[in-house]
Amino acid sequence: MEDVINAYISQEIVADPALLPLSDDAPLLEGGILDSLSLLRLVVFVEERFGITVGEGDLLPQNFGSVNTICAYLRARQPGKQEAGRG
Amino acid sequence: MAESRAERLLRVLEGVAYWAVVAPALACLPASLGYRLACWRGDWTLRHRPAKRTELAGNLRRLLGGELGPAAAQRLTRDWFRFTSCEAIDVMRLRHRARALGRLVEVRGREHLEAALAAGNGVILCSAHFGSYDCAFSLLGASGFAVTTIGRWQHNYTAGLSRAERRFWDLAQARRLRRHRHRPNIEPWPGRIQVAAQAAAVLRANEVLTIAIDAPPLDTDQARAVQVPFLGRQARLLPGAVALAQATGAPLLMGFLYRTADYRHQVLEISPPVTVTGDVAAAFARCAARVSAAIRARPAHWAFWACTGDLADLGLIEARSPDGGIQHDGSAASVPARG
Repeated sequence: MEDVINAYISQEIVADPALLPLSDDAPLLEGGILDSLSLLRLVVFVEERFGITVGEGDLLPQNFGSVNTICAYLRARQPGKQEAGRG
Repeated sequence: MAESRAERLLRVLEGVAYWAVVAPALACLPASLGYRLACWRGDWTLRHRPAKRTELAGNLRRLLGGELGPAAAQRLTRDWFRFTSCEAIDVMRLRHRARALGRLVEVRGREHLEAALAAGNGVILCSAHFGSYDCAFSLLGASGFAVTTIGRWQHNYTAGLSRAERRFWDLAQARRLRRHRHRPNIEPWPGRIQVAAQAAAVLRANEVLTIAIDAPPLDTDQARAVQVPFLGRQARLLPGAVALAQATGAPLLMGFLYRTADYRHQVLEISPPVTVTGDVAAAFARCAARVSAAIRARPAHWAFWACTGDLADLGLIEARSPDGGIQHDGSAASVPARG
């Protein structure tokens, strides 16, 4: 999952080649890599790729601050995980 | 010419009295009389605010100099002050279901808005700080469209306002505009990463998203700004509306509300969809060209003539040091100045 997210951000969002390669813990928001519009594109991508819906309330720095936090958020949102959590 | 403390206090008190007492009363009079009296008040502020008058006329000459004679500049300056007074009446006439204002506004191109919504992707309606643009957005909301605006409320970011002043402008102005909007304004403050997603949610619900695209970028947004031809120069503007249209597939329309010669009747012209495919900057330049053309056609409607700092932030005029004469007095025509 980290590879998929990292590849998308590196190829579709990062405009400055000097920022590549992107490490999984690189700060995406403080580092200016993600802004409001690129975050929207990323959200659309993860919604389509992982079959989840990202609510407005989930658009927080702790969920989208780095590739690692995005993946942690997505793992927590995956249907299987949610059911396992409830069960 | 710096404004003294006493002059500022008098200006603020006059603005408060106008918005709190006079404008609501004028809005209850027959429109011909109410707007006539608002024009008189505009003429009075023109005479009693020489610094603002000089700033405005100077900026008109700087940007439109070659195409503007002295008499035309004088007329535009007078109209700018009259329009700002008339805008208060427009806001007051949004009362109840806004019929008092709706009767005075001819909407041209409503069919473009309806056709665009029929596609189911929502609509981005772009305008500028031009005429009573905020009233235009609310009027569309009152006429049955679900309208949400991306924009910061002016009183929340104008520098130098006290807490009481901010509260007053919220009650006197923003509350009246807000009640016809479907959702609260989406305010793009620095660090608010949810803005585009909130805007996309509006479009997904097949609603109308309105935005004035000529705002000067904040310092934190400068990296995202693009240079586009504007009023014969190059302006730095944020192309977010186009980027959002590309990301969501929503059609982008342009809309401008302008006042006719009798000051009370207005026309809201809504365009067919603008092509937004391809390079973001190039597509945005097409939108900026529409704004630029609207301003050139009716210059007195543009709010930023009286905001030298904003014009400098847009890159349209050179920023000078305070001792050089041009000073940044906050942003977007401080609220009392527009009152």
